[in-house]
Amino acid sequence: MTWQTFAFLIVGGFAALISGKRFHTLYLLMKAKKGTAPKFGEVARRIQTTLVNVLGQKAVLESPVIGVAHTAIFWGFLIISLGTVEQFCMTLWDTASFEFIGHPLYSLFIQSQDLFTALVLIGVIVAAVRRLIFRPKHLGQSMDANIVLLFTGGLMISIFMMNAFHSLTHPWFADDYFISKHIADGIGHFGFDEGESHGLFTLFKWIHMCLVLGFGMYIPGSKHLHLVAAGPNTYLRHLDREKGMKMINFEDETLTQYGVGKINDMSWKDALDLYSCTECGRCQSLCPAWNTDKPLSPKNLIIDLKKNLHANKEAMLAKKEEEITPVIDTHVTEDVIWACTSCRACEIACPVFIEHTDKIYDIRRNLVMMESKFPTEVQAVFKNMETNGTPWAFSPGERANWAQGLDVKTVAEAGSAQDLDVLLWVGCAGAYDERNKSVVKSFVSILNKAGVKFAILGTEETCTGDAARRIGNEYLYQTLAKANIETLNRYNVKRIVTACPHCFNTIKNEYKDMGGEYEVFHHSQYVGKLISEGKIKPTKSIDETVTFHDSCYLGRWNNVYAQPRAVLQSIPKVNLVEMKQHHDQGLCCGAGGGRMWMEEHIGKRINVTRSEQAIETKATTVATACPFCITMISDGMKTKDMADKIKVRDIVEIIDEAT
Amino acid sequence: MNLYVCIKQVPDTETKIKLNGDSSGIDAAGIKWIMSPYDEFAVEEALRVKEKNAGSTVTVVTAGPDRVVDTLRTALAMGADNAIHIELPESADSTMAAKAIAATLKKEAQIDLIYFGKEAIDDGASQVPQRVAAHLGLPSVTVVVGIEYSGTTLKCKREIEGGSYEMVEVTAPAVIATSKGLNEPRYATLPNIMKAKKKEVKAVKLADIGVSAADQKIKTKNLQLPPPKQAGKKIEGDAAAQAKALVAALHNDAKVV
Repeated sequence: MTWQTFAFLIVGGFAALISGKRFHTLYLLMKAKKGTAPKFGEVARRIQTTLVNVLGQKAVLESPVIGVAHTAIFWGFLIISLGTVEQFCMTLWDTASFEFIGHPLYSLFIQSQDLFTALVLIGVIVAAVRRLIFRPKHLGQSMDANIVLLFTGGLMISIFMMNAFHSLTHPWFADDYFISKHIADGIGHFGFDEGESHGLFTLFKWIHMCLVLGFGMYIPGSKHLHLVAAGPNTYLRHLDREKGMKMINFEDETLTQYGVGKINDMSWKDALDLYSCTECGRCQSLCPAWNTDKPLSPKNLIIDLKKNLHANKEAMLAKKEEEITPVIDTHVTEDVIWACTSCRACEIACPVFIEHTDKIYDIRRNLVMMESKFPTEVQAVFKNMETNGTPWAFSPGERANWAQGLDVKTVAEAGSAQDLDVLLWVGCAGAYDERNKSVVKSFVSILNKAGVKFAILGTEETCTGDAARRIGNEYLYQTLAKANIETLNRYNVKRIVTACPHCFNTIKNEYKDMGGEYEVFHHSQYVGKLISEGKIKPTKSIDETVTFHDSCYLGRWNNVYAQPRAVLQSIPKVNLVEMKQHHDQGLCCGAGGGRMWMEEHIGKRINVTRSEQAIETKATTVATACPFCITMISDGMKTKDMADKIKVRDIVEIIDEAT
Repeated sequence: MNLYVCIKQVPDTETKIKLNGDSSGIDAAGIKWIMSPYDEFAVEEALRVKEKNAGSTVTVVTAGPDRVVDTLRTALAMGADNAIHIELPESADSTMAAKAIAATLKKEAQIDLIYFGKEAIDDGASQVPQRVAAHLGLPSVTVVVGIEYSGTTLKCKREIEGGSYEMVEVTAPAVIATSKGLNEPRYATLPNIMKAKKKEVKAVKLADIGVSAADQKIKTKNLQLPPPKQAGKKIEGDAAAQAKALVAALHNDAKVV
């Protein structure tokens, strides 16, 4: 034991106390949450995704340059931590080195410390150059980030200096310090004697240890908290691509709060999401709202929610409910919450699996159901859905009028769903909207050509409730869903096909929570099946350059990317080209999340931005697979004065022409 | 303040009206019922007055068959405190409805203001508010699109012919018939919807208030649907030819010139 032992006990103890207290507060804040977190089964898949995405850095590596830099820093931290542990041990007890592991291993250990210190330093330089010189827009400027880089850089430099002086006093290790010995060579010119070298080694060691301890105290209040939170958050991530919104049990009379009004209405998993954010901005760079000058940035939303959490720390821990400030207007505005199209680009891009849409939905639920605050134009939509079962002002009695004169039966007329191949779910757009009626008619034509036995629910169908749910009116959603599930189950429906990705997503992924389990196809999947089974043959050529616009609820929410493209490519002479944003990076049309029924007052119009991307491809046809997308892109083309030059058609209209 | 709002349940505006067997009324099967939209302004106005005057209560009143209780629940969910359902037959006319409502309100201890929608969108008669006011001996102001309250004095802005407005002053108690533009009716919050389900609705039988079938003065004999809309015609040719063809069509086919 030396003076260092006592010094370290005092300094280390103090640092451990401070960071321990700060981490403990974060834990208490998670515990003080009232919301219900999802269940976390499927341990094997969770371990696998953690290995792949934490140790393997898969999601991080989606951005190639900074991904590699991050991977170097991440692995460097793991390896260097071993050296730091040895350093702490030896400071406490000077003979407690790891040398007991034996010669070749200990040499390797030292070499690895040198190697990874260099890799981390390179990683930090790449990150600093990117952040301070290239300044990508989505990253923004952050003092916190700069401090973290300074800490990390400082740690690495102190290790190199420490190792260099160590190699001077321990020349038998010099070859293992294969990088820092070059620094030692340089230092050699100063002609330090052994005593001085040893003193300087001790100085840099203490600089390093103080930086480590300082960093430990700094992390809980910093974006660097992801170092601790992102791992568990990856383990607890939503595992599947498909995701239904969480249910509210309205039968539960003890529930007095619906949605999130205050930050403690969220669940502990939501808090972990906030802790995990590294502010990398990948979410923001793909957000259709942010990219068209709306006030919503998914990154800022997470940061602002975290600020709200910290601002309410005392009140939450003291359980002074009335002193907790609401989320809205303290740190987040209503405009932010209503700007979301629920396209989910943010979640798919997030390397630490934060679920942004859940938070937006929860805040909307509080605004709509508790406070009755929403864009005024939405009230008519709710009322239409309540009384007429459609967001548009149409009579439920006219729901099947589109089928007049066509060879389309209702399930009631067909007698039973058991003799059918599939039930055609028409959806409100297909039933009432002129443009989309013709899409459904094309699909019916294809089904008839293929000899598919199908029927519709006719006037017994009602809105799936998707828009109500996404806008935050869970109560209305459940009313509509219950009615539909009751009808579908009464007819014993097993298989459903629909031309609307919103209906598709809701019936497939959300009705099962209310007792509606069906095999659900989007029309692109069903037509693809008919083509591969040879039931329809696209033989007529269509000599057009076609670009396919991904619907969010088909692509990002259900991973259906290949089938609609395959369907288009099955047509002779079709030349399929991609827009600059496509697949998971595709830009929303602007109508999801209930935005179809809200005015777009702020910034540039999303549909126009997407139409411009389509125009850039020089395509002569934009193919869509969603009633909202077709409406939005058609409007966009009109705005750009391109409606005469570029056709906007649903894929089934194109296939119907080719067969 | 004791505020009363009289509301009516009507078919939804999107309803495709069908007539019943003998064309004496409409076929109620499949109809979605709503609160008459003008009545929503009345409920909203009363709620806003209540919110500004602590200790006030809002009582909603409606008359009709059992199904109209749903509409009372809608008003309760918006925030009304009490509800009264007068059991009136489907066929009742404005005379009978007004007499029943007035007789019911007479039994209330104290009334400061009574709000109505300016008309119900089903028969569009615009009769009941004024008739109730007459029965109760109260002043009535109709087609109100703005109100300034000061004590018991109400400065009302009325919409009149030609897009003009008229300002009138009235002293409570009074009957106010509201119109579009007065306010934006609220959407009920879920806790209020839940509470409304459990609130008691007071039922009033006609016998209790001295109203009988003899009070119905108008009986509907026969209803007819408007003729189906015909497809539009496009007149082709140059301006002179188009004008000629248009005049000919107005004269020969439409017989309006």
